[in-house]
Amino acid sequence: MRNAALWLDKKFGLEEHTIAHYAWVIVAIAGMVQMVGAAIRMSFGVLVDPLVEAFGWTPGAIGFAYALMSIVTALASPAAGWLGNRFGARQTMVVGTLLFFLGMMWTSQTKQIWELYVAYGIVFGISQALLLVPVVPAVAAWFRRHLGLGTGIMMVSWSLGPALVVQALAVLFATAGWSQAFMVVGIVGTATLSLILLFFRNTPEDTGRIAYGTRANDNPLITSGNIYVRTQQEFQGFVYKTNAFWNLINIHFLGCVGHAVILVGIIPLGISKGLGPLTAAGVLTTVSLVSVSTRFLAPVLSEKMSAKTVMFISFFGQGVGVFLLLTADSTLDFYIFAVVWAIPYGGEGTAFPVLIRKYYGHAPMGTTYGWQLLGAGLGMALGGLIPGMVFDITGTYTWAIILSAVFSLAGAVAIVLLESTKRQLIPDWPEMEENPEKSPAGAATSIRSDSVPSGQTGGD
Amino acid sequence: MKVDARAQTVETQSPELDGFDIKRRPFLGFGLLMSSVIGTLAVLIYFGAWVSVDRIERRALAEGVDESQIEGEWWEDGLVLACPLH
Repeated sequence: MRNAALWLDKKFGLEEHTIAHYAWVIVAIAGMVQMVGAAIRMSFGVLVDPLVEAFGWTPGAIGFAYALMSIVTALASPAAGWLGNRFGARQTMVVGTLLFFLGMMWTSQTKQIWELYVAYGIVFGISQALLLVPVVPAVAAWFRRHLGLGTGIMMVSWSLGPALVVQALAVLFATAGWSQAFMVVGIVGTATLSLILLFFRNTPEDTGRIAYGTRANDNPLITSGNIYVRTQQEFQGFVYKTNAFWNLINIHFLGCVGHAVILVGIIPLGISKGLGPLTAAGVLTTVSLVSVSTRFLAPVLSEKMSAKTVMFISFFGQGVGVFLLLTADSTLDFYIFAVVWAIPYGGEGTAFPVLIRKYYGHAPMGTTYGWQLLGAGLGMALGGLIPGMVFDITGTYTWAIILSAVFSLAGAVAIVLLESTKRQLIPDWPEMEENPEKSPAGAATSIRSDSVPSGQTGGD
Repeated sequence: MKVDARAQTVETQSPELDGFDIKRRPFLGFGLLMSSVIGTLAVLIYFGAWVSVDRIERRALAEGVDESQIEGEWWEDGLVLACPLH
């Protein structure tokens, strides 16, 4: 029996995996940061009616606060990624937590519309970038190998978490009122973030551990000190000179426009075709639930096979799948669309960290990922505008659906033009020069003798 | 295996860049990004101008006057001016 288990482990590469590693704590923390950080953003719709009732502002004026927040988050993303690289993800997220608290408290006391714009649009928008951008590169730093698995699990929690929190927030807004609800969320969210950040570490080396997937013959990577800062600047310069850096921003932008049109437009489109509001909302929920599977699978498959192929299939499927909506006019049609479209949609955005690792090795990915989220954020903002704009002009959503397909398929073409992932585009990120197993004198590093056997994942 | 982060004082030299394409400028990637930006702006201007013309027509109809007599908002005039198809 034991031999059979060992054979299976070897056959599927499972002998390299262990649950007893601090990297999984980091993944869990990353999921919780997203859950808290994104909760208010995801439930903004719940806020609109109470504010209209309390202050008489128009829904459009209130909605501008959301658009402003999205754009500020997008614009702040490259800086947030750079800060995470330069000063550490944990320190950047601590500042993000302080701004989160300030934004929530100020929003709860808002009396004028400009206050809503500053508190929610700008302060909360910046906090979103500081909380959500550095966490992904930090998770990557904890995975020497198997980043696809770590990313996949993180992306599942990012999808399920907000869905659960949004329901709780809706109840809170209805029972406590909008002002008190913001205060409660601000206090509870800040307390939660502060608590979990106590356990967060930027790199394995910060806690004297090794990254997940490290093998005994791997030299440790440089992760701190002046040499780290200087090398990081030099390597980021190399990254800027690759076609992939610019094209990945482009691809993230195109993909996000493509699905934002559908995510924003599917409920009004369903209602315009005769579906009830609850049934139409159920279509969106179905999309969220079904997409969880490919959110997990896309990064895992991207690591095992060609990341370009996985991303191309996702973008192509997302683009072609929306054409089902052109003929959808019954509940069944919409639910078939939800299931069919959610599969490529789920895989569309989750393989980027794996692709960055394939192109740029173990170089810190904060700034690079931050720039990609700039593209993604602007794409989401633009995609959110298109359905309403098109409906106002034409009285139907047909052109919005066509535009969604055009943007997604343009993204698929751009993926084809990416460099091959078989070869790294920049030199290897430097390792410490001495490995004590090769050189027992170990000049610069001090690695204790409790090393893991060759080929085995380094657990704690 | 434990690693002492404080001991990371090793000096490194600039890496060898032979065999990498990073000595050239990223024309393809940057060009694709710019194509998307320009294409998106074109779509926004086209649909924005369409919305603007539609709004002006509706106001003219409501007031029972000719469209030329209706003063558009600054952004409506701007979008119509920017779009060669409207």
